[in-house]
Amino acid sequence: MLGKYFRELSVAAVLVVLLLVLAIAAPAFFDAQPLFSRLARDTPTLVAACGMTLVILCRQIDISIGSQFAVCGVCAGMLAAGKAPVFVVCGAPLLIGAALGAINGALVAGLRLPSIVVTLATMVIAREGLRWAQQGAFINLPDGLQWFGLAQRSGQCALIAFALLLLAAMAWAMRHLAGGRFVYAVGSDAEAARLAGLRPQLTTFLVFVLMGALTGLAALMNLAQSPQVDPKSGTGLELKAIAAAVVGGVAVSGGRGRLWGVFAGVLLLACINPALTYLHVEAYWEKAIQGAIILLAVVADGMRSRKAREA
Amino acid sequence: MSSPLKHWKAALFRHETILLAVLLAEWFYFDSVGRRFGTLDNTFDILRHSSEIGLLALVMTPIMLTGGIDLSVGSLLGLCAILFGKLWRDAHFSPGLAAACTLGIGAIAGGLNAGLITRLRLPPLIVTLGTYSLFRGLAEAITHGVDTFTDFPASFLALGQERLGGLPTQAWFFFAVAIAIWLLVHRTTFGRALRAIGYAPEGARYAGLPVERRLASAYILAGVVAALAAIIYTARLGQAKADAGTGYELFAITAVVLGGTSIFGGAGTVHGTLLGVATIAVLSNGLVHARQPREVAGMLTGALLLFALASGEISKRLAKFRARRHAPNPAVPVPAPHSQ
Repeated sequence: MLGKYFRELSVAAVLVVLLLVLAIAAPAFFDAQPLFSRLARDTPTLVAACGMTLVILCRQIDISIGSQFAVCGVCAGMLAAGKAPVFVVCGAPLLIGAALGAINGALVAGLRLPSIVVTLATMVIAREGLRWAQQGAFINLPDGLQWFGLAQRSGQCALIAFALLLLAAMAWAMRHLAGGRFVYAVGSDAEAARLAGLRPQLTTFLVFVLMGALTGLAALMNLAQSPQVDPKSGTGLELKAIAAAVVGGVAVSGGRGRLWGVFAGVLLLACINPALTYLHVEAYWEKAIQGAIILLAVVADGMRSRKAREA
Repeated sequence: MSSPLKHWKAALFRHETILLAVLLAEWFYFDSVGRRFGTLDNTFDILRHSSEIGLLALVMTPIMLTGGIDLSVGSLLGLCAILFGKLWRDAHFSPGLAAACTLGIGAIAGGLNAGLITRLRLPPLIVTLGTYSLFRGLAEAITHGVDTFTDFPASFLALGQERLGGLPTQAWFFFAVAIAIWLLVHRTTFGRALRAIGYAPEGARYAGLPVERRLASAYILAGVVAALAAIIYTARLGQAKADAGTGYELFAITAVVLGGTSIFGGAGTVHGTLLGVATIAVLSNGLVHARQPREVAGMLTGALLLFALASGEISKRLAKFRARRHAPNPAVPVPAPHSQ
């Protein structure tokens, strides 16, 4: 039992240690008000990280989600500002995200191009296109949209509950539904999956579409938290999502990893920046620490697989 | 079979020839649209502005020949630029000494990538994604995100802003590195080993090549040249900031892929990369002269990258399809002999 979940448990242990240190050194960290808004602010990252997990399990990567996030957010914001009905505002980012994901998926699965280069290109095209269209202007949202008309606290609770439900549903689906097992099978060995009668290219394509739709959902969840949309939002989201997945024990070589580990990874990374503030370290270190954590996680995995090779 | 006509046809449809045609078409188009585009001054401008990305693309070529990738070069450029500024302003080094130290730092940073990739056999993509974040984060942490280094001495700024022997000063460095890397890749056993590694890493190992050492030197070289690019960047702009070189890795990778290097490794040329750099540089400069917004250049670069990748893959598929159709009797597979 312990051996099987060693990787996830070790991340959880680090998280618990960090929280204990904070509890002793800076109890203010656990005040309800800032804690809830911090958690709510990180729900989009959790949703994006869930999608990224599937992509990495498929032995692919998607670094264009930051740009997709911004495009979806701006489109939904424009619709909301134009007094579109609520279901359109909520549906549009999902559809736009899915369409952007489908472009990536078609290029990666259909033409078998390497996902890193494809998504590098679509990342820049989407980001620059948005900057061209928007010229960096913020979009002001109408009053009723923030927290979907709920009070701030209940809105935050609703967002957190929704994200956790989504995580639980996806974790269950990855374990018990055929589609979820297909993702693992394709990521472990695409050729074996094909010989077993699966369609690896179709699976990969659909995973990219799902990634896009989840990014759109993340953008919507971000939209609900602020009175305006920043066209530069989502910069670095791809790194956060990849970092959370890698830290949470998802193998970059595909086919191995669990969503619960990714959840621990998201929480750990989300705690770092506020922890820096509470422990009086300058916040400029965030990016460096994030990079160091990614490297540490892959080094740990590398050491373990080397030991396994030698054994 | 090797009639001169066939030779000609092969040369005509080579990747580099097509790219050269694209480059010339770009040149004539922008020359007819922009009034100042074709002047010598502007040509030097293009050379000046593309030196740094060109240097990064040049060292990206050997790495991509091995089937690897280095996403951290842009961030390393930023880190080296501000460390150079720090050494000069706060440690009172002379610009020459600071530059030498910066090159050393670049080598160490490249060595970090190399060590993680070769010692632990980690995928280059994820390692350099981590160092991409780490190097940029260190640059931001050291400068607190706001500190900017300026007021460099004129003798140092000459490296980026003056001319030497008729050409922009940094062009000499660029050409020297270009020639060195061309010789390294195309005329030495080192270059041949890189290609062998990219083509089949296990095969290269069985052939007795020191795979780890060759890979490591490619990444260390990238670190050193990224540091050189940082120094030139600082001299050209006259300032060093933590965001120096953001997104340069994309342009470098685009140039290399556009130049015909396979993203899977094993095939590619340095002169192709040079043509790729020129194509991108002329495009972004020409669009300014054609009074297009700057964002269009970025979008077109991304689109160009996708197009180059897709066209290569589609033509490969077509060739396979044609070969299958013209094959005399494809339906009967050759029975494999029993190995027992």
